[in-house]
Amino acid sequence: MTPFLDLLEDYRDFIPDFPHLLEHLKKPFPAYFRINTIKVKPSEARSLLQEEGVAFRDTVIPELVKVISHDHKRPLLSYHLGHIYPQALSSCLPVLALSPKAGEIVLDLCAAPGGKATHMAQKMQDEGFLVANDRKRGRITSLLSNIKRLGITNTLVTQGRGEHLALPYQFDKILVDAPCSGQGRYRIDPVTGALKHVVKGKTNLPAIQKALIKRAFDMLRPGGRLVYSTCTLNVEENEEVVQFLLNRRRANLAGFDPPVESSPGITAFKEKKYDRQIGLARRFYPHKIDSVGFFVAKIVKPGPDGTAS
Amino acid sequence: MPRLLNQGQTERLLDFLEQRFQIPKDSFDNYEMYAFSRQAFLFRKQQEPVTWPEGSFVRCGLPFLRNVAGFLKPTTVFIQRFGHLARKNVVELCIEDLNELCTEGEIIMDNVTQDLELPGYVIIKLQKYFIGAGLLLEGNRLLCRFSKALRQALSRITPQ
Repeated sequence: MTPFLDLLEDYRDFIPDFPHLLEHLKKPFPAYFRINTIKVKPSEARSLLQEEGVAFRDTVIPELVKVISHDHKRPLLSYHLGHIYPQALSSCLPVLALSPKAGEIVLDLCAAPGGKATHMAQKMQDEGFLVANDRKRGRITSLLSNIKRLGITNTLVTQGRGEHLALPYQFDKILVDAPCSGQGRYRIDPVTGALKHVVKGKTNLPAIQKALIKRAFDMLRPGGRLVYSTCTLNVEENEEVVQFLLNRRRANLAGFDPPVESSPGITAFKEKKYDRQIGLARRFYPHKIDSVGFFVAKIVKPGPDGTAS
Repeated sequence: MPRLLNQGQTERLLDFLEQRFQIPKDSFDNYEMYAFSRQAFLFRKQQEPVTWPEGSFVRCGLPFLRNVAGFLKPTTVFIQRFGHLARKNVVELCIEDLNELCTEGEIIMDNVTQDLELPGYVIIKLQKYFIGAGLLLEGNRLLCRFSKALRQALSRITPQ
């Protein structure tokens, strides 16, 4: 067995319908398009997609369609006009949890290539102030390109290490979609049994994730909201990072009601126990939502009177 | 760092958009205009003036006009987002002509209607979709001024 499949065995206790997951990982990723309502009315975008021979169907997220079939070799005018952004269903969930609104001051700390940042701009109706930050120059290029293509005007792009970012703003809402091991994206080659989409590297991801969540929390205004998300199933990169924040800052978790099936955050794993609040975080498994596996925790910074606003 | 355009500079850009494309000036009441790296950017007006972060600033807003050899050229992304506000100097092409424009870089237009003023930049449409800018010259020559990526993609797009 590969190390990942060994690891999955560790997860057997908490992943629902575990045998189904192993079968599901042999299927290719389904494609989804998010319709960019900043540039186009949903009906017009759908009509052009149909004209271009794309078969799709609605999803539980109104702005997202699931692609049933299209010729991948053929360039889509819809894409080049900025009508659509190819985005996994689960990648929309952190934005739904954060729920940014027009007029708010919002930060995406690890923004490139811009799927969630541009989705947030869309939710803000391109009003208010969105800061999209990323660490790497190469990734900033794709972020800028997507912001331009989707016609967004309310966004400031910055480049810096999220752990040390110093910005002259206090944010209403912050998204930390942290760099992670990407276990939620793993797939099993049905022929060879080899793992696909594996992220390689020796980086100490939990250390980076902990520094990011702490820095983000400190940039929130009192009463502000933070969403921490990853596309991994790994408890050390998820619940343990949130626990780290709870240990060091006066933070509270908040529940949210996702539009797809989810499981609660884990409060005990191997010998470790986590705060009961962490049960309010949501885990999304690939076989349950037919998309990438995700973890989403919504965190509130208490206001001056101790409540969230 | 981007430089906030003063009232006179902003007015000059708005005059250009109104005179060339008949885009009403008040369409941009909710935006501020900045100059950065030889381009003008549209940035959503904020409740309070924005302080740009030292050291980490990369870009703000949407690039909308570029200075090309002393002339103002609207960007592709501006046309795609705001082109529907234009009332003149809009050229509607069929997919075959658009393919040819992208492949050859230039076409000769058969019929140049009275609302097209040449020489100068025009907005190119395909059906109801605003695509990008072209440069219309004497002799009814229409030159492609799309970004390279858009041009490559459009040259391969075929009618269903």
